[in-house]
Amino acid sequence: MKTALPRACCRAVLALAAATLAAAPAWAQPIRIGVITDKVGPAKPYAEPVTAGAVFAAKELNAQGGILGRPVELLIEDDQARPDISATAARKLVDAGVTFILSMSLTPSTQQVQTVTLETRTPQLTPSNSGDTLTTQIDNPYFWQTGPLGSTQIATLLAYAANKNFKRVALVGENSDLGQLTNRSFKAGLEKTGVQIVAEEMVPRGSTTADPQMQKVRAAKPEAIFLTGVTTPENVLILRSYRQLGLKMPVLGNFNLSVPQTAVVAKGLLDGVVFVDAFDPAKPQARRFIEAYKKENGVEPYNLNGYGYDGVMLVADAIKRAGGTDKEKVRAAMQATRGYVGVLGAAGSSYGFAEGKRTGFDPNGMVVRVYEGDKQGKVVFSGAQ
Amino acid sequence: MKTVLSYLAAAVALSAIAFLLGAYQTDVYRKLLLWIALAISYNFLFGISGQIAFSHFSFYGIGAYTIVILITQAGLPLPLAVLATVAVCVALALVVAIPATRLEGFYLALATLAFAQLFIVVLNEGGSITGGTGGLASYRLPEILGVRVAGPWYTVVIVVLMLATLAIVGRLDRSWFGRACRAVRDNPEAAAAMGVNVRRTKIIAYTITSALAGVAGMVYAFVDNTVNPHIFGLENAFLLLFMVIVGGSGRMAGAILGAVLLYVMPFVLSPLIGHHHALVFGIFMVLAVLFQPRGLIGLWDRWQRRRRQPPAPRPQIAKGEAVKREGLA
Amino acid sequence: MSDFLELIVSAAASGCVYGLVALAYLLITRPTGIINFGVGEWATVAAFGAYVALSRVELPYALSIALVAALMLAVGWLTERLTVRPLVVRGAPPLAPVLALLGMLVVVRELVSLGFGPDPQPVPPAFGFGRLELGPLAGSYQSFFIIAVAAVVFASAWYFFERTLAGKSFEAVALDRRAAALMGINLSRVTALSFAAGAVVAGLAGLLVAPNVSAHYLMGMPLAIQGFTALVIGGASRVEGALLGGLILAVAEQFTVRYAPVPPGLAMGVPLVLLIVFLLVRPAGLLRPREARA
Repeated sequence: MKTALPRACCRAVLALAAATLAAAPAWAQPIRIGVITDKVGPAKPYAEPVTAGAVFAAKELNAQGGILGRPVELLIEDDQARPDISATAARKLVDAGVTFILSMSLTPSTQQVQTVTLETRTPQLTPSNSGDTLTTQIDNPYFWQTGPLGSTQIATLLAYAANKNFKRVALVGENSDLGQLTNRSFKAGLEKTGVQIVAEEMVPRGSTTADPQMQKVRAAKPEAIFLTGVTTPENVLILRSYRQLGLKMPVLGNFNLSVPQTAVVAKGLLDGVVFVDAFDPAKPQARRFIEAYKKENGVEPYNLNGYGYDGVMLVADAIKRAGGTDKEKVRAAMQATRGYVGVLGAAGSSYGFAEGKRTGFDPNGMVVRVYEGDKQGKVVFSGAQ
Repeated sequence: MKTVLSYLAAAVALSAIAFLLGAYQTDVYRKLLLWIALAISYNFLFGISGQIAFSHFSFYGIGAYTIVILITQAGLPLPLAVLATVAVCVALALVVAIPATRLEGFYLALATLAFAQLFIVVLNEGGSITGGTGGLASYRLPEILGVRVAGPWYTVVIVVLMLATLAIVGRLDRSWFGRACRAVRDNPEAAAAMGVNVRRTKIIAYTITSALAGVAGMVYAFVDNTVNPHIFGLENAFLLLFMVIVGGSGRMAGAILGAVLLYVMPFVLSPLIGHHHALVFGIFMVLAVLFQPRGLIGLWDRWQRRRRQPPAPRPQIAKGEAVKREGLA
Repeated sequence: MSDFLELIVSAAASGCVYGLVALAYLLITRPTGIINFGVGEWATVAAFGAYVALSRVELPYALSIALVAALMLAVGWLTERLTVRPLVVRGAPPLAPVLALLGMLVVVRELVSLGFGPDPQPVPPAFGFGRLELGPLAGSYQSFFIIAVAAVVFASAWYFFERTLAGKSFEAVALDRRAAALMGINLSRVTALSFAAGAVVAGLAGLLVAPNVSAHYLMGMPLAIQGFTALVIGGASRVEGALLGGLILAVAEQFTVRYAPVPPGLAMGVPLVLLIVFLLVRPAGLLRPREARA
């Protein structure tokens, strides 16, 4: 009798303590994820929607109890599209204790941040940058890229056009960093398949017309034009010249032509233009994302939002598998990502980092669509086989 | 009047700060010191010598790229690379200065603006030498005698650079050369009549200040361990101009004030105002120029004067003195 | 050969746009000596004004142009009132208004980007982009429209400065401010009018070029630089100089790209090199200022 009461008391106290600890999420340390985006500079048209997707993902995660029971906190920094500020912002985030940094700004910004993440051993992911050199120029085991690489884009386009047997093509783009990178990727991809590039033109940013460049293209008589420009105003100039000069050969564009605003500005110019996209709205994950996003934000999302969403979700998945926020464990978990099906990517494709590689977008994950009038048509081709 | 002692004291104080800062603050501090060094040398070019040039930041880039190329591609040891970089900067500055100084006012501005854009084009098209649009990365400051200068010690290097720039420019400013530059700025014909070689003065001023910018660039290359064309774009050239103007052109204190203010402001504003911070920045600049057209350093001057004046002057004298003090700031 | 002729039309249209921006600079610089780099942002404002009037509210074209012109008059006048007059009145150094206007450039750009977002917006053209053939020359309707509008604007400006008394008073102010004031010319009114007129002309440039490039918040800076280059080439002393400079710049740019055997990346450097050479060889521009008449 005398010992039973204290033992019961002990058990009660233990039970109470256990219950308190289990209720801890309310007071748990948040998991901090850093986001570097561009709020005022030339990357804003892309960075803003990608960040919006990331914010939505964080909200969704928290509504479902967070990661490992801990709430997710996004720390958002503005690098003004200036790479040196990007590096400073990254240091600020590292000092604030983030487990992961998401880079949504320009390609050179993402690269400059890598010197910081390499030095501080902080995991870094860019969910939207597509420049192929980001994972090759600096050997940074803490950096991953899940944006659709330029090389993947051209491989997909070439696979789609395989039966057309193009022998002579033209490359037209503009002179932004990403535009030039995309141009190089496309060129490499084309030359690998033995296609001859008869014209390679670049429309400088701020031009008032693309006529001289397109006249040169016309004179070279290519069988197809591959559009490598990523800025909408210059793409509109190119397409307008294309129509004005009476050019008829097929136009195959990079994934920046999939951004919906292109159709708003290039009205009447897009009919028949082929482009690659990472978004298949018929995919169940995509459908669910569209519905949930619309309900939360009142507007229908598009592919750029999906990049940010997938980025946060991939990071969350890695942290879950790592069982905590230890940066080395998270790094290993991230590198071990395989078969993760996100919002973006063709049906049947998934994100994953093959042995030793840090580019995660499925090489068969892009789809090819064709503009019908001003509307983005259905998926006509998928993958790069 | 800074003596060697006060420079040493400043060096020690500024370096001591470096050892107290965390990684993020160190980064901000280092870049702040570099901007101050740039503003000081630019102030001499723009404010004292009266040359409106947008090429300053490009020389910053030339210095940065040159040392990286020499170290990674030519494989030169650090001391030799440093000397070679300085030589390249001086040589290039001279090459640009000779034709550039034939131009006046806004023509010079336009020519140097074109030069700055041309620099970016060359960087982008430089293939494997400049790394093209991606620039150069994956390099580190090489060791000297087995020692690698890093962390707070590298910050000390930047402190020394900034103070050295201050010392050199200050010396020039106070010497007959500074007076010659001012004379050329204000009235070239009168200066020539007094025996000043206008052309040579301008060339020397341009060369020295651009070379100083190049040396700062050399030091910058190892702060982020990355150089790419984007860092050295036009927006920064304009920002430098603003710093010097808003602070007070022609005065070194003004340049320092402008650099500190305009560099630190976005960091302070951004968390407070979110993505409107650029707008606030613009409004601030307009207001600053409207209310203190000769630079915010004027406010400091006024505060100094007020500190030194006797507390309650008698009415008649007060009015007279007030009129005299209210004169052109 | 047809390429050449088509390119002439295209270069002429671009040249007219540059010329209009150069004219905007000139209208302000001549009487006041102030260089307003914000003319590019003025063009952006007008482009977005056109977007709202034509794409959102869908007003008829003529009415939209009139509304945008009225808007730009107000913007120009307001800019002068807020940022220039206080400085001139207080006897600030001559560089000060230039810098205040540079600050305004940032403010305007941020306001546009915050108000309309970062995405580019469509601006419909006056008569569409159909192909028009005038004799041997061919181009889009919009190109010919641009040339026509620019011709009207430049003709009016020339007439104003050469033949009207008000225009002569502008010239007088440009030549000698103090003497002009002594002759009874209202300096502040001339300044205000020059800013308002400059804003309208810059706005026209924006409205004319936007159907091609879309209205977006970063379009101002390239226009400002190209316009300034045109001004330097043509000479900042005469109205015709602005147009001539614009045409020469556009022709040099476009014909170099089309015919010069230079790789595309370097082709961008060619106008820059040309400009530098030009500045060194003939900085005063091609057209000399008119001599004072007795």
